[in-house]
Amino acid sequence: MVERSYDVVIVGSGAGGGTVAKELAHLCREGMRIAVLEWGPKLKDEEFTGREAEMAERLYFDKGGFLTRDRAMTLAFARAYGGSTVVYTGTSLLLPEEVLSRWGVPELEHADLRRRSEKYLTENNVHLLEKEKINDNNRHFLEACRTLGYRVAQFPVNVKGCQGSGLCNLGCPNAAKQGTNRVQLPVAEAAGVEVITNCRVERIGDRECLATVVNPPFGERSRWREGRYRIRARAIVVAAGAVNSPALLLRSRLPVRLPALGRYFTTHPALILVGEHDRPITNFYGHPKSYYCDHFVESANFLLETCMYFPFTTAKNLIGFGAEHADLMSRMNRMQMILVLAVDPALPENRVTVDSAGEPVVHYRFTDEVMDALVESQRVAARIFFAAGCRRVHAPAGTRFFLDADEANRLEELITREAFKLGKVSISSAHLMGGCRMGTDPATSVTDAWGQVHGVPWLFVADASLFPMCSEINPYVTIMALADRVAEGVRARLPELPAA
Amino acid sequence: MAGRSNALVPPLSQRKWAFLMCVAGCMVPPAADLDAEGRSRFIAIVGKALGDRPRSIQRQFVLFLGLLRWLTLVRFGAPFDRLSRANQDAMLRWLLDAPLAKLRGGFWGLRALVFMGYYGQPEVWPSLRYRPSFNGNRLLHG
Repeated sequence: MVERSYDVVIVGSGAGGGTVAKELAHLCREGMRIAVLEWGPKLKDEEFTGREAEMAERLYFDKGGFLTRDRAMTLAFARAYGGSTVVYTGTSLLLPEEVLSRWGVPELEHADLRRRSEKYLTENNVHLLEKEKINDNNRHFLEACRTLGYRVAQFPVNVKGCQGSGLCNLGCPNAAKQGTNRVQLPVAEAAGVEVITNCRVERIGDRECLATVVNPPFGERSRWREGRYRIRARAIVVAAGAVNSPALLLRSRLPVRLPALGRYFTTHPALILVGEHDRPITNFYGHPKSYYCDHFVESANFLLETCMYFPFTTAKNLIGFGAEHADLMSRMNRMQMILVLAVDPALPENRVTVDSAGEPVVHYRFTDEVMDALVESQRVAARIFFAAGCRRVHAPAGTRFFLDADEANRLEELITREAFKLGKVSISSAHLMGGCRMGTDPATSVTDAWGQVHGVPWLFVADASLFPMCSEINPYVTIMALADRVAEGVRARLPELPAA
Repeated sequence: MAGRSNALVPPLSQRKWAFLMCVAGCMVPPAADLDAEGRSRFIAIVGKALGDRPRSIQRQFVLFLGLLRWLTLVRFGAPFDRLSRANQDAMLRWLLDAPLAKLRGGFWGLRALVFMGYYGQPEVWPSLRYRPSFNGNRLLHG
């Protein structure tokens, strides 16, 4: 086993790990050694092909089809230089003050989080896309929401030179999306931070990580040779995402008992809904996600966003099969799509555990409130589709495959809870949160408000697993703001931590 | 990656592949018209996806295929692949809405793999009128 030694080791290079790496990078000029250990590869620019199956294999865990234990929901999260920032759409929202109040973490103040968030809005070139770059799929959503009197807003996005490939979720082929792979990690590396890709951290011991480097048949080779490593560090920052961070800590031998570890996992369970126009619209050209509707968050616990997915993902998310399914699929250029996301509660029984092989297992129970939100959101989405001019709509809880426009006033009876069965409907999530939640009480939280694991002064967490509850918005800016705080905490703590 | 198979060879026998193609033709009617290359691509995509899954999942998948083949004996008196298309469709629709969540889950997994094998082929995208472009903005306004 090869031994290495650093001052700080960061596990993961996504919104959390990439931010911490950049924020600590200046310490390299003072002689400190910092490493980022990233499980995934660094793809070459020409390897972003936009081909769905190929990119899913290169970038996502389980090809984007990681299933919860009961197989009722798929979780999409990436492993790559840049983590899930490689595959998000770059929608950049600030955590609402009322959500932070609900989180109830003393010391975590809205003004502080806002100041840090705004720093990343600037750093990531966040702005509103120009009107001429909005495609029909998005425009129809905007106009229909306005017609219906629903509150709707444009997503600020973090792109630079967007060519409108619409392939954000498969990794931008034009290097336009300003994820940590394009912004924070290159800055960190230029300052002396070492980023070791294709390096899976298996467990954490007393101020050390045990890891293995294996190169997949794509991407750049890791800067370390293939093999097993023991990496010692004065401080370790875990930023492997809301599934893998708790799983890593659960596999590890920590000197403390953390009863909340892995628990309070939330996901914003989501459905992809489709309406069909009677003529082609622009949908897969242009940025896929320009507007969102948060009109129903307070009253009915769901939000709606525009989206446009790829053939396999679309097919999988339509319910059913056979001629009518294939018929709808044969006209992708007429599809309008809406993603609905439920605001789900943080429950101790919704959690990450590890199996006998150390692999993460996600336990997730859908509450009645979440099921009701997902059903009601389909009715609202159907109203939006019809107001936008769709001739028919496909809803997973529909009593039939298609609901026609002349049935728009019967949605209560045509979209029902009875038709919405777990295991039948494709429910997915890409907003994975919790599992290492922040708080003050070690009985119900894992870290303090600065991401330090309770009772372990050298161990920190810096990703969405810190969220005590769901964010009710797309989470990446909040992850970066929290990671910024964690980096500050690490900087403050480092002088007290003995050499590795 | 303990517990994971890195099999490069599709983990199904020829007979099971033939059965899966039969099921695929019911779920995605155009899949029945795939040429030899299209079928090879289907098998390559599904084989890779299955091969990357834990052995326990592979075993469950094979078990579910067997269940689907023979479950129809009870209701229709013949294995699935000898039924009329209408009866095959009826069987699949029963599984889609099955009273047991595990059966629905198994069917969901089968259906997802079939869709991956077919819709995951870029060669079929033109027939879906899906023609992505790296420079989509240029095509936004005609």
